[in-house]
Amino acid sequence: MAATRRLQKELTDLRKAGLSCFRDIIVDEKNMLQWQGLIVPESVPYDKGAFRITIDFPAEYPFKPPKVTFKTKIYHPNIDEKGQVCLPIISAENWKPATKTDQVIQALVALVNTPEPEHPLRADVAEEYTKDKKKFLKNAEEFTRKNSEKRPVDK
Amino acid sequence: MSPEKIVILGTILIWRSMTAVINIRFNSCHSHLLHVDSSWTIEKVKEQIAAEEGVSPNDIRIIFAGRELQNSTAIREIDLGLHSVLHVIQGRKRNLSLQVETDCERGQGEVPETEKEQSTPLNHYYIFCKNECKKVCAGKLRVRCSKCKQGSFRLEQEPSCWDDVLKPGRIMGVCEEKDCSGDTAEFFFKCANHSSTEDESSVVLYLIKANTRNVECITCLAICDPVLVFPCLEGHSMCLDCFRIYCQTKLNDRDFIQHPELGYTLPCPAGCDNSLINEVHHFRILGDDQYDRYQRFSTEECLLQMGGVLCPQPGCGAGLLPEDEQQRRIECATPQGCGFIFCRRCFQAFHQGDCDQRLMDTASTTGYSVDPARAERARWERLSKDTIGKTTKPCPQCNVPVEKAGGCMHMQCTRCKLDWCWLCHSPWSRECMGNHWFG
Repeated sequence: MAATRRLQKELTDLRKAGLSCFRDIIVDEKNMLQWQGLIVPESVPYDKGAFRITIDFPAEYPFKPPKVTFKTKIYHPNIDEKGQVCLPIISAENWKPATKTDQVIQALVALVNTPEPEHPLRADVAEEYTKDKKKFLKNAEEFTRKNSEKRPVDK
Repeated sequence: MSPEKIVILGTILIWRSMTAVINIRFNSCHSHLLHVDSSWTIEKVKEQIAAEEGVSPNDIRIIFAGRELQNSTAIREIDLGLHSVLHVIQGRKRNLSLQVETDCERGQGEVPETEKEQSTPLNHYYIFCKNECKKVCAGKLRVRCSKCKQGSFRLEQEPSCWDDVLKPGRIMGVCEEKDCSGDTAEFFFKCANHSSTEDESSVVLYLIKANTRNVECITCLAICDPVLVFPCLEGHSMCLDCFRIYCQTKLNDRDFIQHPELGYTLPCPAGCDNSLINEVHHFRILGDDQYDRYQRFSTEECLLQMGGVLCPQPGCGAGLLPEDEQQRRIECATPQGCGFIFCRRCFQAFHQGDCDQRLMDTASTTGYSVDPARAERARWERLSKDTIGKTTKPCPQCNVPVEKAGGCMHMQCTRCKLDWCWLCHSPWSRECMGNHWFG
């Protein structure tokens, strides 16, 4: 199966690369189609926490894009309450089978670090982000402290 | 001197010691065996044949695949393949010719794996063997006279690119067949895995190449052999396993591209420009059933692009090309069609007046009696229609029923390619993104 073979290789490469922004990768070897991991952002207001995500790969992967969902709640203009995120790189119209999961993760981390209020999933948060940055930062930091996971300790 | 033709029909059996036995048939009437070693040169083969037939080795020329074999060439270098024909001509002119036919088989059935690798020449050509193997196989390039279709044809010039081989009339030569004045070469390919008659040729899949450069598959990242190389500038490569899944996934989504010249085809999955596969036989890799489906979709898409319609009657689906573009009443004419008369706009039975209005009217009309058998059939269709009506919305442009299985409100019609909004039921806009992209 192409999906499993490719995912096996991507996972090996990803673990070897040891990204500092994506840690604690959990994959059930019996089901390569679902990955879990911790997003560890570097920018305020998310730099005090870590966020668990799942990446679900369809059986037709890599001919169809994976789906990314936040399992940890996050106060972010581009991520809704259900954890859904709109990432252009994995939208059906932009997806390329040659796109690797580490590129998807990099794009996701970039979006977390630098919100795009012009394409919001949460209009209220986006408005706050553009009109009252201070209030947004305060709310997001507060939310992160309450809801996020512990950041993994550096080696 | 009258032309004399000697036919040597042979079986080369490759033993562990790499020797072979050629069965020689003289004048098509008697035969004997010629033992050769695969390391022998053509010079040595000529000496052997000459000695057997009582002619001078200097008078014999051996033609294989359109070219004369040089004395220094070794047998193992010429890639004889299975059941190939070697043509031997005596003399400088076409007054006497010998024809050697070799019938090669791996000796004693099995050859140890390592030996096989050593003795298997590097294959550069691949075909889809639709008759026997039903899969992509190594192919053999062969040449014949375009006029008499005989293999005793000598090329003036060797083919140096795919165009030389694929486009007729580019390579000239001399036909050595008696009474034939043919001067144009015709190239063809056959399956290398089994014997086949001369007219049993296969279309060469020229995008499939031996992975001599150890290029990674663009999808599974493994290094496989052979690979399909897309016609894009980058030459992105894909292993055949992935290529089959790629085709199948795109076919299931009906997401092939209907190109006016190239046909129903696919681009490089990396989205490169000018990367459409230009020989649709590559899609044979889908297997018989799915290739049939591919061909059906291809015909339908072609028809739709020409302004045609498909009969909506279940089990019919006949392609119709109405003469009048404006005509809303379409009849699926018998005997080719099913006789159904329908509305071009809503694909329901033909009606007067507005489409939606008419649908609502039928739902409430009960005041007439119908044939019980017909009623039963209609009930079945009604149920299907109800389900489709409940779970789908028609595309705002082409009316094809669309089901939303998840994701955002942004829909793209797989049939007419319109981007539309599930909520507004109108073309997708900035406004839709701002107001109700998700939710």
